[in-house]
Amino acid sequence: MEQELSKLKQEAEETLSQVTDADQLEAFRVRFLGRKGGLLTGILRQLGQVAAEDRPRLGQLANDIKLDLETRFDERKTQLTETLANASAGGTDYSLPGRCLPFGKLHPITQVMEEICSIFEGLGFAVAEGPDVETDHYNFEALNIPKHHPARDMHDTFYVTDSILLRTHTSPMQARIMERQDPPLRYVVPGKVYRCDSDITHTPMFHQVEGLLVDRRVSFADLKGVLTSFTHKIFERELTLRFRPSYFPFTEPSAEVDVACVICGGSGCRVCKQTGWLEILGSGLIDPEVLKMVGYDPEAYSGFAFGLGVERIAMLKYGIDDIRLYYENDLRFLSQF
Amino acid sequence: MKFTLSWLNQFIATDGLTVAQIVDNLTMLGLEVDSVTPLFADLEAIVTAKVTTVDKHPDADALTVCAVDTGTQTLQVVCGAPNVRPGMLTAIALPGVKLPDGVKIKKAKVRGIVSEGMLCSARELGLSHDHRGLIELDSQLAAGMPLVDALGLSDIAIEVDLTPNRADCASVRGIAREVGSFTHGTLKPLVTTVTPLTGRNIGYEVIIEEPDLCPRYAARKLTNVTIGPSPLWMQQRLNAVGMRPINNIVDITNYVMLECGQPMHAFDFDTLLGQAIVVRRPRPSETSMTTLDGSTRQLEPDMLLICDAERPVAVAGVMGGHDTEITDATTTILLESACFNPISIRRTARKLGIPSESSYRFERGVDRNLADSALERAVNLIVELTGAQTDPDGIDVYPGKTSSLCLRLRVERVCNLLGMELSRDQIAQYLTSIEFQVNPFDEATLEVEVPSFRVDIEREVDLVEEVARLVGYNAIPTSHPTIWMDSPKQDPLRSLRQKVAQVMTAQGFFEAINYSFVADAHLSLCRLADDDPRCMVTRLLNPLSEELGIMRSLLLPGLLENVRRNINFQRPDVRLFETGKIFLQRQGGAQPEERLHLCAVISGHRYADAEPLYFAAQEADFFDIKGAVTNLLKTLRIDGAGEIVMFGSEPQPMQPYCDPACGAVIRNGDKVMGFLGKVHPETLKGFGIKQPVYFFEMDLESLLNVELKPKQFSTLPKYPAVKRDISLVVPDAVPADDLLRAIQAQKQKYLESVEIFDVYRGKPIQENHKSVALSVTYRSATTTLDDQSVDKIHDKIVNTLMTAFNARYRKGSEV
Repeated sequence: MEQELSKLKQEAEETLSQVTDADQLEAFRVRFLGRKGGLLTGILRQLGQVAAEDRPRLGQLANDIKLDLETRFDERKTQLTETLANASAGGTDYSLPGRCLPFGKLHPITQVMEEICSIFEGLGFAVAEGPDVETDHYNFEALNIPKHHPARDMHDTFYVTDSILLRTHTSPMQARIMERQDPPLRYVVPGKVYRCDSDITHTPMFHQVEGLLVDRRVSFADLKGVLTSFTHKIFERELTLRFRPSYFPFTEPSAEVDVACVICGGSGCRVCKQTGWLEILGSGLIDPEVLKMVGYDPEAYSGFAFGLGVERIAMLKYGIDDIRLYYENDLRFLSQF
Repeated sequence: MKFTLSWLNQFIATDGLTVAQIVDNLTMLGLEVDSVTPLFADLEAIVTAKVTTVDKHPDADALTVCAVDTGTQTLQVVCGAPNVRPGMLTAIALPGVKLPDGVKIKKAKVRGIVSEGMLCSARELGLSHDHRGLIELDSQLAAGMPLVDALGLSDIAIEVDLTPNRADCASVRGIAREVGSFTHGTLKPLVTTVTPLTGRNIGYEVIIEEPDLCPRYAARKLTNVTIGPSPLWMQQRLNAVGMRPINNIVDITNYVMLECGQPMHAFDFDTLLGQAIVVRRPRPSETSMTTLDGSTRQLEPDMLLICDAERPVAVAGVMGGHDTEITDATTTILLESACFNPISIRRTARKLGIPSESSYRFERGVDRNLADSALERAVNLIVELTGAQTDPDGIDVYPGKTSSLCLRLRVERVCNLLGMELSRDQIAQYLTSIEFQVNPFDEATLEVEVPSFRVDIEREVDLVEEVARLVGYNAIPTSHPTIWMDSPKQDPLRSLRQKVAQVMTAQGFFEAINYSFVADAHLSLCRLADDDPRCMVTRLLNPLSEELGIMRSLLLPGLLENVRRNINFQRPDVRLFETGKIFLQRQGGAQPEERLHLCAVISGHRYADAEPLYFAAQEADFFDIKGAVTNLLKTLRIDGAGEIVMFGSEPQPMQPYCDPACGAVIRNGDKVMGFLGKVHPETLKGFGIKQPVYFFEMDLESLLNVELKPKQFSTLPKYPAVKRDISLVVPDAVPADDLLRAIQAQKQKYLESVEIFDVYRGKPIQENHKSVALSVTYRSATTTLDDQSVDKIHDKIVNTLMTAFNARYRKGSEV
């Protein structure tokens, strides 16, 4: 029996070394290791007939051989699988495209607007929206722009009636929010705004995000701090900022904010008209007149407000050079972002 | 506001500063510089040349052949100018040089004689209209020097984009004052002395009937005026800032206005009737007048006019009248220097549609105290440049004289608002640098006298801004507000929109954004009936075009236009959605109702990106859009449980722009949430689309009120499910969904779910029938079901279906 076992072992090892494919491997398994009629199984069955004193030794030997063969079998199997995989690489071309189901994307304006809002939400600002068709009162009067104020020239307004219009900025929500809530408060207001102006750099509808924060002792330095943080975040780098005096009837002092040109880095190019600066938003401390109109005491409270153009920021972030592309909804455009 | 550097330097020195530094400083003071243009850049290549000899052209009487010294060489030039003579210094354009009018000079033969350049007239050089002969230069100058230097023309035009509050900077001197704040130089006065005007024995009178609209009116008479062109230097300055020279008198009034900001007007005195100027509104009979541009203007009762004793002679502050304007024959003029109410001027200029340099300034506010010195400056210039004589006296009616405004400025207020420490004396110093009179009121307060030219400064906070500007915004530190912790409420509509956008993009839809204003024609293209509430549109009074005339009451048309555009650009497989407001004008004269809607469209192939490699090419159909809606509702946890009917196909409330043969209603019980289907063929045709388009639309705001299926965990089943399939043949008209409902309605024990897995029409199934294969899943929560108990329930279900729907089993022969 001992001889039989060693012979079997030798034979099995030889056979296994000659196995070259899965079928031969399976044949090997059936022949030597198979439960029904496998050679090794057959020998093991005869163990009962050997002398009792030999049984433990022979049993141990047979078992060792079985384990050894099983291990060799597994090794060979792994080897073969690898070889087979390499061999069949010619069969499946994994460079073919994946099976793509339809997928879509948000409009770049929405992407940027959401990004802007979420930066401010991270700073604790709430998000509110207001009507697109506004009253003259909220769009102008409540913002310290009475009728016949020259500042109305800065707003080419679409009118519905004498007193109803398409909002020319998101600022009307300043008064609407402050009227219904006492300070402290901080809000951003995303939305569509309208001006009757259409050329390569203007569309009659565009998007703004308005922001305001009112509390005791809010200063111009605070305005600078918040807008600097925001700008660094939205452009994902620490661009230099420039605050420049400007004029809005509803803020005092008023500031326009320029960033170092994202295209040329400030050395001057076509996009920044050789100035090295790009204007990205208007801002200022809320004019005491506006605070008074909503019933706040300007001696007790101060605040800042800002408005930024979403199209402009998207253009700078993504290098879009024609604002009209935004509203054509050409898939070749929309799929780029 | 445009000015030139040399003009600026007339009032303030800028030695030691580069143009770039001046520009940067102005911008940072709030006077944003729009452009910097070197003047006469197109004349750079023109040089001076000395004519040495002049000979007759052998073949042309009117031409001469000249030898010309250009400093480095002597050239032969053919010339046709009558004033050419040996020894004169003039300008030459050499071959290769381009003249301002675009003509390129070439070496050429003129009537057989070679000409190696062109001697130029002032007009050819774009310097004036003078074309009587060659431009004559100071013969002491050298030949060969740049013409721009020879004429001292080298200058730079700077344009500032003025904000509406800075009326004081609508003048060269106003800008110079601001420049003074950073050069610390002295601003030169406009005139050294001002003649006191008494109005006595002057032979005419000025009556202001409307002192509220005209706080001041000053005038002076000049005689022996000779009308002609103004001197070249003045014309060049006017040209440089974009004003067309007209004649010496008009040019001088414009020049003084640009210089100091005071608009002026000159009347031909001899045409004024009754030796009087009356500032008043029109009489009822005065309904129109002709302005100096020749047009007839309709007058309205609230307009302010300048009249003589009998009739209007000017629209105050806006434009002069035709009858009294300066002509070549004018010899006596009355010069007006007045001040008008800004609102009145603005209203009038708007109504008449004639914005002018004058109304621009009056609208923003002209310094009341400027009228007399500006008048003096203009009179001086007229006397000096035209040889006219001025009356020694004139008139200055000033009913609106007020004392200057004094404001208290608290140091603490400045520091708090700016967020930086400044001392009382620092603040005083800043304000003094732009001519504010500042006195300490107490330790912590300043008393500031606002100069009359700063019409924009009325309150303490206005002074705070002045201080901020002068400190420099970039010198103000950066800090962060001390913030209170709170977590703001989320706007539910915004959250819903974000969720919707997520589901839609995940399903392959790109987001579109269309204009809120659309064409009127969309309504009829969508086949809306006249009484459809969506035809009650919000209409713009002043749309950019007919195509953008009304606020949209539907989102679909915009998306259809996008589909067409994409098809035209060879992208016929389109999935687009838009969430946006629609506007319903339920009543006139009020703000419309704005509702947030969702609309999506599918057109073209279903799996455009994987066809035909992995999927057989297939057109998308109704079930693609229905699937999109189903997924959306599922994600939003609107699951159609209970009484909710998700999709009905009752023809009644179908949309007119939906194909009646292919559409459904999305309902929540009795309430319609939206529609889906195939766009009506006529609508598609109207939008120029030749392939089918499937759409769905929903009112997102109404979704906010829908009760959502709560997120609630249910235990995962422990015991296996048993499936039974049924294949039934039913009449064609039976909706498959009814079979599902009928099964569920039985509320049988162990019934877990039912699904349709096949629908088949055609042979060998009999006509007008279809086979529907259903898979029913049974499961118990407490035990493993045996075949017997399942069969019992299953048979019951099948039998009910048989009777309810006149169904029968699909036979083996029908397989």
